[in-house]
Amino acid sequence: MKRPLNSMQFPLYVLLLLLMGSVIIPLTTEKFNMKAKTVILGTLVLSWGMMLSTFINVLREGPYLYNIGNWGPKIGIQFNIDIFSTSMSLFILSLSILVIIYSLKDIEHEIYFKQISVYYSLVLLLILGMVGITVTNDLFNTYVFMEILAITSCAIISIKRKKENYMASFRYLILNTLGSLSFLFGVALLYMVTGYLNMSEIYIRINQVWELYPTNLLLALGLMLTGLGIKAAVFPLHVWLPDAHSTAPTPSSALLSGLVVKVYIFTAMKLLFRVIGLEIIDTINIPSFITYFAVVGMIMGSVFAIGQRDIKRLLAYSSVAQIGYIFLGVGLATELGLSAGLFHVVSHGFMKSLLFLSAGAIIYKTGKRDIRTFKGIGYQMPLTMILFTVGALGMIGIPGLNGFMSKWYLGFAVLEKGQPIYLIVILLSSFLNAIYYLPIIISAFLTEGEERNIMVLEDIPKTMSIPMVLIASFCIITGFFPQIVMDVVSRAIPTFL
Amino acid sequence: MEIVQAIIDRINYIGAAILFVIGLYTVLTHPNLIKKVIGINIMETAVFLLMVSVGYVAGGNAPILGLTKEQTSELYVNPLPTAMILTGIVVAVSITAYSLSLIVKIYEAYGTIEVDEIMELRSEKAVE
Repeated sequence: MKRPLNSMQFPLYVLLLLLMGSVIIPLTTEKFNMKAKTVILGTLVLSWGMMLSTFINVLREGPYLYNIGNWGPKIGIQFNIDIFSTSMSLFILSLSILVIIYSLKDIEHEIYFKQISVYYSLVLLLILGMVGITVTNDLFNTYVFMEILAITSCAIISIKRKKENYMASFRYLILNTLGSLSFLFGVALLYMVTGYLNMSEIYIRINQVWELYPTNLLLALGLMLTGLGIKAAVFPLHVWLPDAHSTAPTPSSALLSGLVVKVYIFTAMKLLFRVIGLEIIDTINIPSFITYFAVVGMIMGSVFAIGQRDIKRLLAYSSVAQIGYIFLGVGLATELGLSAGLFHVVSHGFMKSLLFLSAGAIIYKTGKRDIRTFKGIGYQMPLTMILFTVGALGMIGIPGLNGFMSKWYLGFAVLEKGQPIYLIVILLSSFLNAIYYLPIIISAFLTEGEERNIMVLEDIPKTMSIPMVLIASFCIITGFFPQIVMDVVSRAIPTFL
Repeated sequence: MEIVQAIIDRINYIGAAILFVIGLYTVLTHPNLIKKVIGINIMETAVFLLMVSVGYVAGGNAPILGLTKEQTSELYVNPLPTAMILTGIVVAVSITAYSLSLIVKIYEAYGTIEVDEIMELRSEKAVE
């Protein structure tokens, strides 16, 4: 197939542009002024545009493999540019742009002013890592992007100079490194058997020889899945997540919770279905193990969240439960299950970042973090609380919001697989979600605060409210028209199975 | 005797596995933060050892073309794992540097680098 050479290289340009942006920002400006903001947003919007054009190109003309520097798959790095990687990169970039527009104002009171430009440099590197890990088709390259992600995601937590941040970030770093090293160990074991690092080549080789080397394959799969499980906060390995996500500055929490955890799920999906293949993992029964962990996580994450008083900590524990939903979809290993999982990746990304951003707006305006002090706050900050309510109702699964649609699809996937017990777990988890989200909404709107409840339109900055409104409207639109996301996702899934 | 021979043949892999487990044990159980970082480094070394051993070819030359005058031996050690380990070492150094700088900050904040003491300090603060 003939393609124009330039547009073929857009994915690489996106990565290089983000890398350049992250170097340029701290160099050009001492202070965080208009120039720095232009560079940040310009970089992101430009890369978003290039990713969009790649996405449209792939939709029209089909996927292609891109060899960096034209080295072959034996020694070079390869990008797999298909509907899955481009649509998910587009999702990552869109959500990051919205969060970063919000952060321009919010970050000023979260971290020391001289470090703001460094912060954005780190955020751009983080986005580089996420896009890279999504598009790459090479296992060692995945490891390198993972480590970029590990360092930057810890650094955007520890940049806030608080005691708790240092400890949370250190623990996150250590566990993250454990995860990456287990992954690399697994990569070495796979390389030992196949002699390739390219995912598609390993898939061909491993399906020929796997019966000869069961130890290598089992060890590699175990180590790599455990490593990815630590990073994606699957239930018993989630210990780092609540501290890290709740102490971080608000924009970082939104990015970490909405996006960073998800890219490890993409990697796990690629590993299971593209590198190893459905035939082998079905033989050694891995998908059902994944669903067990997922189901326990769905319940336990919500149970832990009920006990929390700090709003951001509550949201962090809620993430653990929601990751369970996604892994349940992945573990079903059917077309419906995987598309429900991917749909929930997108909808949870939008809902959770909306929740974190509105919680951040409350902290920005009133300084309150404890949900017991939220009485009557819906009258002080009606817009923010309405947006929070949209996110929270989406999490519970009220019809008309995208959270409901992902539960709907997941329910169908579970029934198709013939395991209605999981449907009960999904419903139970939704009830548990309601137990901890509804009291916040009720106390915000229906109880008397310390002052008289006078409805005033709050004056949070426009740059903070507009991104939140955009995210919320996306939640509502995909709630009514889930086909927008589902069409793309269901076209991306057949490349896995 | 066969078992001994089998162990000797695979000594690199066994060594890598043992080092990995030692490192993991240190990271998970040791309360001292710097020793945790050392544990991470031991684990990294283990993975690098495994990776380099994978690329080793018995009797192979260094993969530099035209190094030896006579072109009799066509055997070369696989250069790819070595190149990857160079990347891995760079990553390991940056992780170590970052975690050590975090430890400095933790020491400034808490006055200790033992996890159990830090936890005590934090729980005392929570009680107050």
